Amino acid sequence: MGGKNYYLMIAGVGGQGSVLLSRIIGDAALRKGLSVRIGETFGAAQRGGAVHSHVRIGEEVYGPLLMEDEAGALLALEPLEGLRRGLTYLKPDSIVVINTRKVFPIDVNVGAAEYPDVDAIIDALKKLGGSVVAHDFTELAGKAGTTRSMNVAVLGAYARLIEGRETPFTKEDLLEAVKGRVPRRWLEANLKAFQLGYEVADKALKEG
Amino acid sequence: MKHIVGLDEPGKRVILQGNEAFARGAVEAGVQVATGYPGTPSSEIMETLSLVAKDLGFHAEWSVNEKVALDVAVGSAMVGARTIVTMKNAGTNWVMDMFSTVVYRGLPGPLVIVSADDPDAFYSSTEEDTRFLAKGVGVMILEPSTQQEAKDMTKAAFEYSERFELPVFVRSVTRISHSSGDVTFGEMRKDRNPVFFDRHYKLPFRFNVYGPFKYKGKAGPTAKHAWQLERLEEIKDFVNSVPFNRIEEGESDLGIIASGMGYSYVKDALMKLGAEGKPWILKVGTPFPLPENLLKEFVSKVSKILVVEEGDPFIEEQVYVFLKDFALEKPVFGKLKNRALLRYGELGITQVVNAVANYLGIHPPEVPEERRKLKEELVKILAPRSSALCPGCQHLGTYWGLRFALLKLTAKYKQEWKGVWIVNGDIGCYEQGGYGIFAKEITPSEDKASKRYMISNPYEILDTNYIMGGGIGVAQGQYQAGYRDGPIVAVAGDSTFFHACMPAVANAVYNKAAITFIVMDNSWTAMTGHQPSPTSGVTAMMEPAKKMRIEDIAKALGVEHVWTVDPYNLKETEEAILQAMETAYLKKVPTLVVARRECALQVTRRALRSGVELERFVVDQDKCIGCTLCVQLGCPAVGWDKKRKKAFIDPVLCVGCGLCAQTCPVKAIRPSGKGVKLYEVK
Ligand SMILES: Cc1ncc(C[n+]2csc(CCOP(=O)(O)OP(=O)(O)O)c2C)c(N)n1
Ligand code: SF4
Ligand code: SF4
Repeated sequence: MGGKNYYLMIAGVGGQGSVLLSRIIGDAALRKGLSVRIGETFGAAQRGGAVHSHVRIGEEVYGPLLMEDEAGALLALEPLEGLRRGLTYLKPDSIVVINTRKVFPIDVNVGAAEYPDVDAIIDALKKLGGSVVAHDFTELAGKAGTTRSMNVAVLGAYARLIEGRETPFTKEDLLEAVKGRVPRRWLEANLKAFQLGYEVADKALKEG
Repeated sequence: MKHIVGLDEPGKRVILQGNEAFARGAVEAGVQVATGYPGTPSSEIMETLSLVAKDLGFHAEWSVNEKVALDVAVGSAMVGARTIVTMKNAGTNWVMDMFSTVVYRGLPGPLVIVSADDPDAFYSSTEEDTRFLAKGVGVMILEPSTQQEAKDMTKAAFEYSERFELPVFVRSVTRISHSSGDVTFGEMRKDRNPVFFDRHYKLPFRFNVYGPFKYKGKAGPTAKHAWQLERLEEIKDFVNSVPFNRIEEGESDLGIIASGMGYSYVKDALMKLGAEGKPWILKVGTPFPLPENLLKEFVSKVSKILVVEEGDPFIEEQVYVFLKDFALEKPVFGKLKNRALLRYGELGITQVVNAVANYLGIHPPEVPEERRKLKEELVKILAPRSSALCPGCQHLGTYWGLRFALLKLTAKYKQEWKGVWIVNGDIGCYEQGGYGIFAKEITPSEDKASKRYMISNPYEILDTNYIMGGGIGVAQGQYQAGYRDGPIVAVAGDSTFFHACMPAVANAVYNKAAITFIVMDNSWTAMTGHQPSPTSGVTAMMEPAKKMRIEDIAKALGVEHVWTVDPYNLKETEEAILQAMETAYLKKVPTLVVARRECALQVTRRALRSGVELERFVVDQDKCIGCTLCVQLGCPAVGWDKKRKKAFIDPVLCVGCGLCAQTCPVKAIRPSGKGVKLYEVK
């Protein structure tokens, strides 16, 4: 029982659109008639704080929180935050999409801490059992029209990675959900970002 | 319709945040007046309601504080209107005077009070469980376990309140308010309560506690208290039949009493442990009064009881009293005697899974030893992410000015002072001035002697901080006790100024406290998500409003020396703060500085929305001498390249406020020349 439930973790910093991303994924599940719970703490209003979303999907889910090693997927909008949540929540044999664009914490800026090497982060997530697609999705989204669609570019890559895996929704469900959530004036750029993200993951998979 | 919760589509299934669900419940109940004061994690209830208020024809307001919000709500329910008032845990402390008094004889219209607690103190200074406050005044408490229930309970709360003519208290927690779930819409009530006033409605002198109401041989407040206690007996009976309380049958003789989030975690835990249907469950939707008939039945089926609730052992204590009353000897496990759960922190799914597993005698899922070791190895490269002000935040400018004014003034008066200033903080974005840098270790000292600490960034500037409006009062106490080792300063934001500081400013003038008060006016209640404040010029419903000026109010309250500065001008800010502190010292009167500049995040968002490209600043790597002054400003967009010993600016984060350029002694920081300057965006 409960085995059919699908758990996912989104990690990033404030202002990167993790909340919108969790809603898009939730909507995709809702379309399938499933129950959805999304757990978030937003930090304060300001930008730049660590934020993460727990997403739980299934026939019967109650609370919003994941347990350790439960996330079947990790969408990391920022590398350090990806590592932070991955360390706790990533399940062995899971998928990871990671945006390699760093956002330095103030601790690093004032010289009190060191930002880990992004390759070391990717390596760590692989050791934890993730099939990792890493890319500068911020730059990629910029190519699609606005860096603010980075979250949807990451979603596009995720949509490629779930092909052939057991997930509650398909690429098409995710795309429909994007259309339902993204404001009209930004939709074109977001759809393009989704497609570019998809292609990045496709290429990464083919190159192994 | 500006928000989905306003749609008249019964049966529609959507994902709602808990706070949106509370709002939807009020909409379905046909709410007529909604008031509140922002406070995480409660704010989105009112935010959502204010978006649909105009279209649905009700009044929604951000009041200046929770006390005023409840007073307004009481007036509204007094004339019959269906009313809701929202606040966070700390705000509930603010309403206690009216809350404990209005229950004497109640109100003709329904009054629903939503209070959002914050177990684990994600956004709060305490983990306070406000259910004790509501029980203390004797009203019904409802506590939802899911977002669906948040909506359903709020709607029902209006009905229950109208039925008993007493307020109903809905308790939320962060994991309800700030989590989202699928919610199915119900019918929207179209009728509205008539608005009327009758001073003797149903009962003589109903709305005047001192009115000569006679009851049970008593008169006045005591008689009214007797009336309330009679209602409470009816409510006790009633809660046995509300649908939010129920027994779920089990196969064993083990019982679990679960309420709110606790219930959801228990259900998830049983599923994970493959133990669904094993224990008996009493699902409690009314933590007060407890449904005693159900409880009696439940207790008769089980040999021991585990209580799972978010916050303090509130239900658990009542269960002990209940068992004693009925001379039932059954062991209770929870947070009190047989510690199954921690009394501090949030419940969390992991803790509940472990507690339930232990209780049922099942092995909880475990992370294999090897994987645990791998994690211990990998975690070593992790860096903390301390919270920081936004790039370009105007508070950075005020704190920079304050830091250097303190240094210069204590240097000037080093004969008179020990040079140990006190900066008293307050609650708002600027409270981050006391968060410190997580990665730094501090060793406390034991001497009872003033000690000066040097600070190297704005995140270390606040010496004290407790509650909204507290700093300005605390500062006066330090002065009145005779503290003279350095200047005494208090800071607060504009929303906090209106919430709780005005009486304290009057007090400083009246009692001649020679302190300096810096009001950081950014035109919004920023920290809680940019709700309008009396300085914004708009109301909750986005109608134009009078823009109040803090310097005018300060002068009217009797403060004779007032400065108004732009925190984006570091020189001017530093000089004004220095003068203000010196004037307080020399003239022995309170002084006040208003640092006014709109919240940078608001301005940035507005620029982005209108398609304006903001100019960034860059560090000329050849000119940079590696002095780290710009890094000390504390803007998260200014980085330090350890290897090269040079500063740099993150082009994605920088919003081009120009503050860092002003800190650079060799003019190595300059605008990129492309785009619009932040401080020129209208
Ligand atoms: C009694 C109480 N009510 C509400 C809150 C929630 N809260 C935290 S900060 C804040 C106000 C922030 O506004 P302001 O003082 O203008 O500072 P800003 O964040 O805009 O810099 C509020 C209402 C609280 N902490 N305590
Ligand atoms: S939200 Fe506004 S006031 Fe708060 S830290 Fe950001 S810029 Fe500063
Ligand atoms: S101009 Fe300087 S201080 Fe302002 S946002 Fe950019 S980096 Fe930060």
